[in-house]
Amino acid sequence: MSYGSENATGTTTSSVGSRLRELWNDYLPVWLSAPMVLVMLLITVFPGVYDLYLSLVHYKQTNPQQIGEFAGLANFAAVFSDPSTWHSIGVTLTFVGGSLALETALGFTLAALVTNVSNDYAREFYRVAFILPMAVAPVSLATIGRIMLNSQVGVIPYVVATYTPFAAPNFLAEFPLATVIAMDTWHWTPFMFIIFYAGLSSVPEQLLEASRVDGAPLWRRYVHIVIPYMKPVIFVAVLIRLIDLFRTFGTVYSLTQGGPGTATQLVSIQIFQTGFKYVNLGQASALAIAYLVGILVICNVVIRYFGFGGVWD
Amino acid sequence: MALLESRQTRDRIKEAVRHLVLLCWTVAVLFPLYWIASMSLKPPSEALQLPPNWLFLPTVYNYLQLFGEPSFVSALGNSILMVSASVLLVLLLGVPGAYVLSRYDVPKKQDVLIWILSSRMLPPIAVVIPFFVIFRTFNLYDTRIGMVFMYLTINISLVVWVMKAFFDGIPVSLEEAAMTDGATRFQAFRKVILPSALPGIISVAIISFIFAWIEMLFSLILTNQRAVTVSMQVFKFIGSRSIEWSMLAAASVIVILPNLLFVVFVNRYLASGLSFGVVLKE
Repeated sequence: MSYGSENATGTTTSSVGSRLRELWNDYLPVWLSAPMVLVMLLITVFPGVYDLYLSLVHYKQTNPQQIGEFAGLANFAAVFSDPSTWHSIGVTLTFVGGSLALETALGFTLAALVTNVSNDYAREFYRVAFILPMAVAPVSLATIGRIMLNSQVGVIPYVVATYTPFAAPNFLAEFPLATVIAMDTWHWTPFMFIIFYAGLSSVPEQLLEASRVDGAPLWRRYVHIVIPYMKPVIFVAVLIRLIDLFRTFGTVYSLTQGGPGTATQLVSIQIFQTGFKYVNLGQASALAIAYLVGILVICNVVIRYFGFGGVWD
Repeated sequence: MALLESRQTRDRIKEAVRHLVLLCWTVAVLFPLYWIASMSLKPPSEALQLPPNWLFLPTVYNYLQLFGEPSFVSALGNSILMVSASVLLVLLLGVPGAYVLSRYDVPKKQDVLIWILSSRMLPPIAVVIPFFVIFRTFNLYDTRIGMVFMYLTINISLVVWVMKAFFDGIPVSLEEAAMTDGATRFQAFRKVILPSALPGIISVAIISFIFAWIEMLFSLILTNQRAVTVSMQVFKFIGSRSIEWSMLAAASVIVILPNLLFVVFVNRYLASGLSFGVVLKE
């Protein structure tokens, strides 16, 4: 006797009840997943289709009588004939590439160093301390950056001026993009670190022992044993970070608003400004569609090239 | 003997170098956090002194100022309310969905999983434009309900992926045993599987909380006054000239604090959560 049928004792109401219960049990996976599927459709298909629609019509708040009129590819043409779009693409690729490379290299190095620390307490201390920056919200990161890098009152220019032969630099004015990359590296190296750390501790001890006995030098142990073994972990970490780097907005926007000039104008910031400062949602959507396609292509190339092999069982 | 000793010395030197490098990074990580925290606890007159006053009498003056600011208090309340509601909702939607993906023969399962992940590839700026238009049409602009919904878009793929990995790790025999004892499939899920997956649910809830808590773009575009979030309120402080640096520091500390506590307390689960369960077998 299953729980479901024990109340089915004849009266109309309870037979309706048992009918419903049967429906519930028979189609359980449908009921359990339907809300998720509906929301997923709403948040993936709807924005995609609506963005596409907006990208093909005129939608400029300054020109209200034209809103909704079919524009063909005019929005795309306008976006791509604008040199600032190409500039933003260059800024974005530099930002994503630079941050990803630094965070991966630094995250791996730190994880390898901490793994090899022999004292348990010290290892635990490093592990907790190193992931703290992840807790910092973009807006707080921007506050910290503005306070510490300020050329008049900032502690970092002060230290440089006092303890090195160099003059106090104005980081955000002189090297804006490099500063933004450095801050992102501070913020998100912890993500790489924690994943690589977990991955490294799953490398079988016998493998390492065998290579140690062979007297292989350290770098060979990593290049030939550790890194190949960790390939799925490295792949997932890099892919997630890659996706998130393309999504970056808050950190850079609240730090520089894309400036000075357009020095740190990521594509996402340009879309925001086109859409909400110049109130041209048609062109903003065209750029968003192009950006989305670009990201999907890059992510798919990465997925094809490195493969999901080993990630799922 | 000499060989052994020299190897020991070499190991000791290696260990020392390791600690030296790691301590440098520790300083790089902790100093900015210390700096902003100490600034928020100094009276405004001392906050920007260089060289810094290392020994100072901490004061809560800046925090009192901050909490005397009605716009900040209401933004903080908004954030707590909206983020918590959205985390509850995302769990209600995502956890059962993940269970189905883990246990049933879903057609084209791999494609479905990639589709779900792809919602994370959409840049938020591309998502927000259509919803901006729709929110304007249906009076959802600058409402808490609208923001709760927007937070779903950030977190649902994360919840589904991580929870699927967790359910995959729970043996099917557990449900089978419950069902032989007379439980229905749903009862087995609710009374046996959910409790076993609780650590995963907690960690994914916390990670979702953090991601929604730090979000700024949606608030920037979709709120104005009534549903402003705490991040956005701090950003408004950055923008205006009249605000004291120390008050700004205090506001940033308030935004960081819940995340920091979470990260310290659940750091063990973080790796598995953030990596979508790939390194779960640790």
